[in-house]
Amino acid sequence: MSGAILTQGLRSPMRRLAGLRQAKSISKSVVHNETILVKNNNEFINKVMNNDKPVIVNFHAEWCEPCKILTPKLKELIEPLHNLDLAVVDVEDNAELVHAFEVKAVPAVIAIKNGLIVDKFIGLVDADMINNLIDRMSGKKKEDA
Amino acid sequence: MTLFNNYFRKLGNFVKPFKRTECFIVLSKRTFANGAYDYDLAVIGGGSGGLACAKEAINLGAKVAVLDYVTPSPQGTKWGLGGTCVNVGCIPKKLMHQAALLGEAIHEAVAYGWQVPSVEQVRIDWSALTEAVQNHIKSVNWVTRVDLREKKIEYINGLGEFKDPHTIIATMKNGSKKELTAKNVVIAVGGRPHYPDIPGAKEYCISSDDIFSLSNPPGKTLVVGAGYIGLECAGFLNSLGYSATVLVRSVPLRGFDQQMSSMITNEMEEKGVKFQHRCIPLSVEKLASGQLKARWLNTETQEESEDVFDTVLLATGRYALTQQLNLPAAGVTTLSKNGKIVANTEQTNVPHIYAVGDVLEGRPELTPVAIHAGRLLARRMFGGSSQQMDYENVATTVFTPLEYGCVGLSEEVATDRYGADNLEVYHAFYKPTEFFIPQRNIRNCYLKAVALRDAPQRILGLHFVGPVAGEVIQGFAAAVKCGITMEQLSNTVGIHPTVAEEFTRLNITKRSGKDPNPASCCS
Repeated sequence: MSGAILTQGLRSPMRRLAGLRQAKSISKSVVHNETILVKNNNEFINKVMNNDKPVIVNFHAEWCEPCKILTPKLKELIEPLHNLDLAVVDVEDNAELVHAFEVKAVPAVIAIKNGLIVDKFIGLVDADMINNLIDRMSGKKKEDA
Repeated sequence: MTLFNNYFRKLGNFVKPFKRTECFIVLSKRTFANGAYDYDLAVIGGGSGGLACAKEAINLGAKVAVLDYVTPSPQGTKWGLGGTCVNVGCIPKKLMHQAALLGEAIHEAVAYGWQVPSVEQVRIDWSALTEAVQNHIKSVNWVTRVDLREKKIEYINGLGEFKDPHTIIATMKNGSKKELTAKNVVIAVGGRPHYPDIPGAKEYCISSDDIFSLSNPPGKTLVVGAGYIGLECAGFLNSLGYSATVLVRSVPLRGFDQQMSSMITNEMEEKGVKFQHRCIPLSVEKLASGQLKARWLNTETQEESEDVFDTVLLATGRYALTQQLNLPAAGVTTLSKNGKIVANTEQTNVPHIYAVGDVLEGRPELTPVAIHAGRLLARRMFGGSSQQMDYENVATTVFTPLEYGCVGLSEEVATDRYGADNLEVYHAFYKPTEFFIPQRNIRNCYLKAVALRDAPQRILGLHFVGPVAGEVIQGFAAAVKCGITMEQLSNTVGIHPTVAEEFTRLNITKRSGKDPNPASCCS
């Protein structure tokens, strides 16, 4: 229940994002386990929003020390998984995505499933929180309905 | 889950339109506030003053655009949004000053019992320092951009110039141009370092624009100029381990209280900075080794000298960026002979064109001054306020290794204005408690209060040389604004042990001739 409301409340960035690009082709490419490096809005829509698998989106900046710790850690934990993807968005190159997701500080991690935000955290959080998030996203299916 | 979501989605369809109508109304208020112009306000310059004015204006409902552009320095350095303070001024300066202080602290720590392995081998890694500083600056650039985007302030990364009083042309880096019209314009273009007209200046010398991102360690440095920029740079370079020599044309910190200025320079000399007084630079040439040979002239003795340095840093003043604005096209004629804009109430001779910040003539070139003035200006333009900026009694601090903080009048200006007979100057040397153990030099720890002689002796100026001078003076700036008197100051009980409490202990006047050196603490 709370998950749905969370989803609803956080949906507005999706509207903005949808406005950025009209065509929404479903990605049927072969499942890669490499981290998705998002370079533009199209790539984001195709590989994250339209991804069959849940995606952990990491907003990253080169000048941010905590990012340099978190991003490699996320890569290390997620790349081996087959049912969860990681997308890294450099905030300097993707201003519109930053605005759409209301990212005001880095590192920021947003969990996306079926094109909806299901979780979000800001700052460098401890290993437990990261692992919990990954377990939830890759492990059991969401059952709040 | 999807069914559930669909249900909420349907509800959302009812709720959202109402929200959007509200947005539409605000938007129309902004757009149609002035159908004749693209914007209610165009701010040329995205620095301290410009951004503060823009953000306050948008809060008051105006439609605002900010133009910001950094012309690369002669050495090719450029930077992002935020202006001088954030990129090549206060912020990196303070960080490097802090790095220098920490270097000194490592050595002092040993006296307190810290076991620092191979303390004699402690060195600064210049690349690590500049990287840390630049990373911080970039994070501030980013937050600034995000903030502007969120507040819906249009940001144009182009060099602005006037086409006519209400039209500005912005030229982007790739040469393309964008034209915009605005009902009001605020000029907040600030300034850039001045390069003396000597051979080798632009080719081989750097300025404060370049020092904070210098790709190689500066090495043995010649600093030309003894204003606060020159002294602060020479100060931290010396403390970081790079030998520094300062060429002083007339006097250090011209315009500041000279007695206090001499305390600072004494301290710097005792720390190893070399001063060449009454000297002006003649030329800088590059040697085969890659080092720089600088020649200078002592204007008193007419003697020429030269020496070889790794870096020559020019700090010979800053000039306002008014030339490239094409002010004649706007009809703005109130310029001073140094090219700054004369605008007592921030309004130029053209009623809808204003100026704020370093570009103004005769105002303190400080970030908080620009920010405060920018905000008040926006309130007058769009908020129906009539409050003017008070430029009197603005506190400031020179962040040399031993800092100098002051608020109000210098002793010279007070004497000029009131006459020595009508003044009473209280002064004292003091010994910070923390200096004893590491045996830090206390010879230059000094403070004074310049007050009117007649009771209750209103304080005209407070001056303090010592550690954390900025922190010490800030509170007293508020007191001076309230018109604090010596009677009130003397009746204030100090916090012990601090250095700031020395202000409450002032009781020896210069006039009395008594020894201002401290006897002992706690009495």
